Amino acid sequence: MGVLANKGEKVKVRVRVNGVWYERYVSPRMLLVDFLRDELGLTGTKVGCDTTTCGACTVIMNGRSVKSCTVLAVQANGADILTIEGLAQDSKLHPIQQAFMDNFALQCGYCTPGMIMQTYFLLKENPNPTEEEIRDGLHGNICRCTGYQNIINAVKDAAGRMRS
Amino acid sequence: MLKVYLFIQYKYYKHVYPPDFAYYIPNSIYEAVDFLGRYDNARPLAGGQSLLPMLKLRLLNVDYIVDLNPLKELDYVSLNKDYMEIGALTRYYEVLKSSIVNEKLPLLSMVIRKVGDMQVRNMGTIAGSLANADPASDTCAVTLVFDADIVTTSSSGNRVIKARDFFKGPFTTALAKDEIVTAIRYPILEGYKFNFVKVVRRAGDYPLVSVAVAVKLKDGVIEDLRLGYAGVSQTPYRPFEVEKSFIGKSLKDSIEDIVSKVVEGVNPPSDTRGSSSYRKEVMRNVTRKALREVMG
Repeated sequence: MGVLANKGEKVKVRVRVNGVWYERYVSPRMLLVDFLRDELGLTGTKVGCDTTTCGACTVIMNGRSVKSCTVLAVQANGADILTIEGLAQDSKLHPIQQAFMDNFALQCGYCTPGMIMQTYFLLKENPNPTEEEIRDGLHGNICRCTGYQNIINAVKDAAGRMRS
Repeated sequence: MLKVYLFIQYKYYKHVYPPDFAYYIPNSIYEAVDFLGRYDNARPLAGGQSLLPMLKLRLLNVDYIVDLNPLKELDYVSLNKDYMEIGALTRYYEVLKSSIVNEKLPLLSMVIRKVGDMQVRNMGTIAGSLANADPASDTCAVTLVFDADIVTTSSSGNRVIKARDFFKGPFTTALAKDEIVTAIRYPILEGYKFNFVKVVRRAGDYPLVSVAVAVKLKDGVIEDLRLGYAGVSQTPYRPFEVEKSFIGKSLKDSIEDIVSKVVEGVNPPSDTRGSSSYRKEVMRNVTRKALREVMG
C-alpha cells in the first residue's frame, strides 16, 4: 500500500543540499523554497513573485533548474539540490559569479541568485550558447533593474571562462 | 472559472501557501486511481506547474494530493509503427531532448519549445497540461491538431480517448473521478508542412491567441488542413468544418477565405489580456501569417 499523510501530519523529507544531507519533518504543503530558507537557513534563494514567473527562486534539482516556489518540499525527497550557496569553492567564486561581478550584471541583486542558477543550468546544457539561446534560456528570470544587457554579457563571458 | 483565474492572477495575490492537504504516495498506477476513486476532492500531481500555482492562488482547493512522481514507469518516449507514445510523467525537457520526437514530430517540438520557460519545462508534463485543460494551453491545441489518442487508466482498466472528445470545457475533461492520463499517442504526420504562431503580451505569459498548423499539399492544392487554436474558446479549438471545406482547393488562393471563415465559429473570451473582438482580429492575423509562412 502507498503512504498517506493526513492533514496536519508531517512527512519526512531527506534531501542533499550543496553536498550535505538534511532530514526534516515538514507539512506536505511546504514549498521547496521555504524549506531551503526557513528550515535550512539558506536564504540565498529568493522569493520574488511566488507565482512561477520571476525565477528568483531558481535552484538546481537533480541536475535541472526548477522554480522552487512551485515545487513541494516533499517532491524533492531524495533529490540532490544545488543552491547559490553551493557554487563557490574554497572561498573562490564560481566563474559564473565572477562573470556577473565583472560585467556589472546586477544592481539590486535580488534576481541574481536565480539568474546565476539558471545560467548554471543553461551552460551545462549548452556550453556555447548564442545570444538568442541565452535570451531564451533566461526568459523565465525577470530583472526589474533592467540589467538584461549586462546579464547577457555576463553569461557570454561565463561561457568563455568555463570552456577555457 | 477562466475569467476569475485570469483576473485574480495578478491583482489580488499575496504570498500564500497552498491550502493544507493530505498527501498520498502510491506504489502503483492502480493504487493511485483506486485512491482517487475512494476519496473525494483528490487530485493527482505530476509536474505541478499549473496545479501548485492554482492552489496557492486559491483557485482550487483540494483535500488530497496523489503524487504520481514516484511512478517512474510513466516516464518514457517510444516510437511505434505510426505513432509516438509519450508517457504521462515525461517532462517537457525530456520530450524536447528526444531526437526521435524532434525528427518525427517537428510540430510538437515547435510548440512545446515555447511552453512556459526552461524551468517550467524541466518539471511540467504534457499529460499534466492536457488533464488541466486550460483553454489557453498551446499543448492542448497542438494535441488537438494531431487528434492524438489520450490513453487513460482507471480502476476499471484502460481506455483511449481521442483528443477531439477529451476537452469538455475550461479546465474540464472527459476524465472520470478515478481516471488519470497515462500516455499520449501522437500519430506521425508524413508529408505535412507545419507552423506555429503565438501572440503573447509578455514573456512567459499565456498566449493571447496561438495557432498550430499542419497542412498537406500536393502541387499547391490542399489535401489536408488542420488548425488548432489556444485562447479563443472554452476549449482548444479546431474549425473542423472550415478545414474540410478547403480540401481540394489551392492554398495560395484560399488563405484570405480561410482567414475570414475561421473566426465564424468562435466567441472568444474577453479578459485582462484582450477583448473578444480583439482576439478575433489576432486570430485572423496569426492564421494569415502561419499559412503564408507555410507557403514559403
